[in-house]
Amino acid sequence: MIENVEQQNFGLHCEKVSHWFGETKVLFDLNLKVKAGQFVSLIGPSGCGKSTLLRAILGTHPPNEGRILTMQNGQLTQANHPGRDRGIVYQKYSLYPFLTALDNVALGLKLDQTTTFYRFFNWSGWAKKRKSFRDRAAVFLEKVGLGHAMNMYPNQMSGGMQQRVAIAQALIMEPEIILLDEPFGALDEATREELQEMLLRLYQENQEALSKNQKPPYTLIIVTHELNEAIRVGNRLVGLSQYWNWKEAGHDSPPGATIVYDKDAPIFKPDERPNYESFEDIRKEIRRYVYSPDELQSRYEHLKTNLT
Amino acid sequence: MISRPISRTKQAVLSAFSVLLLIIGYTWISHRQHQVNPEDTTIPSWGQLADGAKKFTQPDRRGKRWLIEDSFATAKRLGAGISLGIIFGFVIGMSMGCIAPLEAFLQPPISLLAKVPQTAALAVYFVFFGTGMEMYVAMIAFGIIPTLAVTVYLAIKDIPSAMIDKAYTLGASHFEVAFEVVFKQVLPKFIDAVRLCIGPAIVFLIAAEMVVGDVGFGYRIRLQFKLTNMNVVYPYLAFLAFFGFLLDYMLRFLQSKICPWYQNDSK
Repeated sequence: MIENVEQQNFGLHCEKVSHWFGETKVLFDLNLKVKAGQFVSLIGPSGCGKSTLLRAILGTHPPNEGRILTMQNGQLTQANHPGRDRGIVYQKYSLYPFLTALDNVALGLKLDQTTTFYRFFNWSGWAKKRKSFRDRAAVFLEKVGLGHAMNMYPNQMSGGMQQRVAIAQALIMEPEIILLDEPFGALDEATREELQEMLLRLYQENQEALSKNQKPPYTLIIVTHELNEAIRVGNRLVGLSQYWNWKEAGHDSPPGATIVYDKDAPIFKPDERPNYESFEDIRKEIRRYVYSPDELQSRYEHLKTNLT
Repeated sequence: MISRPISRTKQAVLSAFSVLLLIIGYTWISHRQHQVNPEDTTIPSWGQLADGAKKFTQPDRRGKRWLIEDSFATAKRLGAGISLGIIFGFVIGMSMGCIAPLEAFLQPPISLLAKVPQTAALAVYFVFFGTGMEMYVAMIAFGIIPTLAVTVYLAIKDIPSAMIDKAYTLGASHFEVAFEVVFKQVLPKFIDAVRLCIGPAIVFLIAAEMVVGDVGFGYRIRLQFKLTNMNVVYPYLAFLAFFGFLLDYMLRFLQSKICPWYQNDSK
């Protein structure tokens, strides 16, 4: 029973993950547990290995050492290949240019629930399924506020619309965890805020599910270099950095980046415009402990979440 | 100004004017030539051209109409050659783009074959395939396979790996990635490549027909040229141009129908 409860809350588990490219050490002994329903903002100086970690979690480039566990078909499994349990939203190249918004979103259902053989030989069955997939995709497009743009091709849409579709595309799979790699990096400020609000609405759905004792539907890791965005969208701030006191830990040369900061973030309602000035203390702390090469502290000093 | 658009009417008038200019120019050159030598057949007058048209549309001594006979023969060879080239070019390009060992294996022969001028290699085809239908088909197919395969291969390499990775997160199998993501993305570029291959394919075919053909456009043009019956040669050239244009137009239409998302400005 305990294991069941444990599994219920399971989102992602990185165990002693280390990665290097030849002489270049990137990740060192990284441990990260994400519970279902958490919105984790992953921050860190450029070159600290955020993308490497994301690729490792995605499974395209598994880590050299350690393991990454996700829930696959109801079992904790090592993530060595990209799979339908982990969704991804990239900054660019997010959509398939040959599909309309609706079909882009429905694509996951199509690929996941039917085979080429079925689609080719069972025309009437496929026609029925396609209709139901499209209906469901339409619901998700409404959810991200694009009910009016279902039949547009990606090259007819603005960057913000494309990212909304990309998020719907990932959501419809109901994956255990969704990775967002600087998803709003190429967007203007206003669009960015709208999309942050959209993510916060998903967080609200999580809270509602939790209050009804259900499993929260969305778990997110969002990589961003915009601290305000990280603090506003995430409910947990995780800082990855190569700047920590590795000499004290007994290393002769820099062993790579690890998690040096892990704290709760304030929670906002979707329609609540945060006072970004009130973030000043958190920002200062993050700049000092995560971004600053001069401030080398022990790696465990600013971890609030227990690592077990 | 550079690349400033003009109105549709202006465009139509200018296009019509260029055609008119061509006709007037030809009439004038032909007229001058006939003042020097009234029997001239190198630049036939409109009347002589009409005689020529009679020649290739009326049954000859064998009771065959040249135009029909030649059209069928050439179209059959071209169709079979291009179809075979399309199938193999596509399959080779897809396998090169999707499967790394095959990429390494096929790259040398394909890049080498691409550099061989097909018209210069005519003799090789005669030796291997005789002078019948097989020869024409093999020549056209081998002539266009390298270009088509390389186009498909490069188009696949152009697809951002993020798109492929994402397909796996959406539950795709390897085959589905190849068919649903790679194939559909490559298709319009492939149709473009086929359009560009029609020209070379016709060149290869006509060259071969001129050398060993006993029927077909190349054969007729060579024969009539030897007799300086330019009143047959010129219309035949016009037919060839029209034929190529028609194929091109059909492919462009097909592309706009099956790949409506693809923005194609080349005419």
